[in-house]
Amino acid sequence: MSAMLQVEGLTKHFPIRRGVLRRVAGTVQAVNDVSFTVGEGETLAVVGESGCGKSTIGRALLRLLEPTAGRVTLDGTTVTDLAPDAMRAMRRKMQIIFQDPFGSLNPRMTVAETLAEPLLLHELATPGDVQDKVGALLSTCGLQPWHAGRFPHEFSGGQRQRVGIARALATRPRLIVCDEPVSALDVSVQAQIVNLLKDLQAEFGIGYVFISHDLAVVRHMADRVAVVYLGRIVEEARADALFAHPRHPYTRSLIAAAPRPDPTQRNVSAPVEGDLPSALNPPSGCAFHPRCPLAQDRCRTERPALRQVGTSRVACHFAETSEAGDSRPEAAPSEALRRRLAILDAARAKETA
Amino acid sequence: MTAATEQTEAQVLDAPMPVQPWWQRLLRDPAALAAALVFLAIVLCALAAPLISPHDPFASSRAVMQPPVWAEAGNWTHPLGTDGQGRDMLSRLFYGTRLTLIIGVVSVAVGGMLGSLLGLLAAFKPGLDPWVMRLVDVMLSFPAILLGLALVAVLGPGAGPVIVALAIATIPDCARIARSIAVSVMKQEYIEAGRALGLSDMALFTRYLLRNCISSIMIFISLRFGQIILIGAALSFLGLGARPPTAELGMMAAQGRDFLLFAPHIAVIPSVLIFVIVLSANILGDALRDVLDPRLRS
Repeated sequence: MSAMLQVEGLTKHFPIRRGVLRRVAGTVQAVNDVSFTVGEGETLAVVGESGCGKSTIGRALLRLLEPTAGRVTLDGTTVTDLAPDAMRAMRRKMQIIFQDPFGSLNPRMTVAETLAEPLLLHELATPGDVQDKVGALLSTCGLQPWHAGRFPHEFSGGQRQRVGIARALATRPRLIVCDEPVSALDVSVQAQIVNLLKDLQAEFGIGYVFISHDLAVVRHMADRVAVVYLGRIVEEARADALFAHPRHPYTRSLIAAAPRPDPTQRNVSAPVEGDLPSALNPPSGCAFHPRCPLAQDRCRTERPALRQVGTSRVACHFAETSEAGDSRPEAAPSEALRRRLAILDAARAKETA
Repeated sequence: MTAATEQTEAQVLDAPMPVQPWWQRLLRDPAALAAALVFLAIVLCALAAPLISPHDPFASSRAVMQPPVWAEAGNWTHPLGTDGQGRDMLSRLFYGTRLTLIIGVVSVAVGGMLGSLLGLLAAFKPGLDPWVMRLVDVMLSFPAILLGLALVAVLGPGAGPVIVALAIATIPDCARIARSIAVSVMKQEYIEAGRALGLSDMALFTRYLLRNCISSIMIFISLRFGQIILIGAALSFLGLGARPPTAELGMMAAQGRDFLLFAPHIAVIPSVLIFVIVLSANILGDALRDVLDPRLRS
């Protein structure tokens, strides 16, 4: 059986226009030839540094940004071929949760209006029973019935994010793109929201594309992880395998760069040096070669294909050889990471108790 | 503790901060309160003109250029005196204010609505943006007075052409302001959220864009109102507006010009009234902006 969501060769380029005639002066290659699958009830985390195209992947696969090329298939329907009307109906099955809980809710609509809108739009409720369904949604997401009449500005960040989740959940979607859903929240609230997302997934079998730069949250949430560098997937593997045996040098640097509060440990890791190269003019060959500790002549001219190595997919010429020699797998997660994971687990235990 | 009391307690802790409604905050400002009272009084007098006018505003009497009651030769038959043709100033003032306000309100409403719609559309459909804004630039290059002259030349004098000219003069500024407000709203994530829900363009435009722009646009329009009254009075003063014997404040000031030395009240009283209307409208508009614009809230 094929996966619920299939993304093949997803590409999004932004033309840069200059001058009076709006001539195309260049192209930002935000997303290049990205392919992945997400199964029912599965979480695929998409990680990478800011500006690497994570969010663009999420928006392009929902067609909030029209992809330049590629195919997105959800439950056998090719989303990228749909006409506007069919696409609007299809949105019922694919939703998004935004990063900013302050900007993603219409400030002029009460919570009840916000949640009733998708229900009425997709005819999942009638004007008669919509209030009951809104109430049910609120309690599913850990809010109280009396919150329905309030406006977004009367809520805290965590509560607003719950409203955002309830809105995404209203249409009972098959797929939710979570675009950094917790990075605007503080740690204790993050734990509640992450666990809410996990519980909802267990209950409704939703597939998540979980975009994040927070490896602690990713480790807690994800079944599989795709690491994105400059608009391309450089490594994709099961979460446990990826954190235990990162194969791509960029993945290793990313894991090593997770913040550690212990000053004596500061120089142990070798984080990536320099800045992300411009997507307007990406480096030749392997896009990572200017910052890669393993880079050789071959990397400058020849772009490594994403290929199967063991259970992972890796785009590095030295994926097979480098791991043995240069591996510093995270046998012991850093103190900060362990503390974060402990908080996440504690919050979960408290909620289920 | 029972579940019921727990819930009420949580509800109390969870309750939003009580915020005074905007009109209460508006009236706490003494200048705004005074302006509101003055403006309200003027509007009521204008609306009630047929009921409260002591004389027929068009009927001449023998008492020509009679001074107002506070002057030596004044009397209570004509509290504000009479004009050059012996018509009662107070009655004409009521009727004149009514026409001036009607011209202002209608032209600002029509022009404001059309202009805002253009601006919102330009922001909503980026493809339309350059076309709409070039059109607005062209409209902006015609001064309202010149436009009024041209329209009167085509349509003949009267209140109608003045309203059309003023409405057209209101469109470009409103379009620009509405566009700039709407562009910033369009960048908000909730617009994308609405799209992600599968909303139609129409629903997105009215429920998301318009609803979040309307208060800022209304503030701008209320600030424009005073200016439009002034331009309308100027057009009437130039003889382009209402035709005599209709009373209109700008025209009354123009008619008094010939008697400025012997009977200054004929020109001065309507001019002062124009001044008061514009001033109170502007103070109200400013206060409204202070109260409604969250960025200015202390």
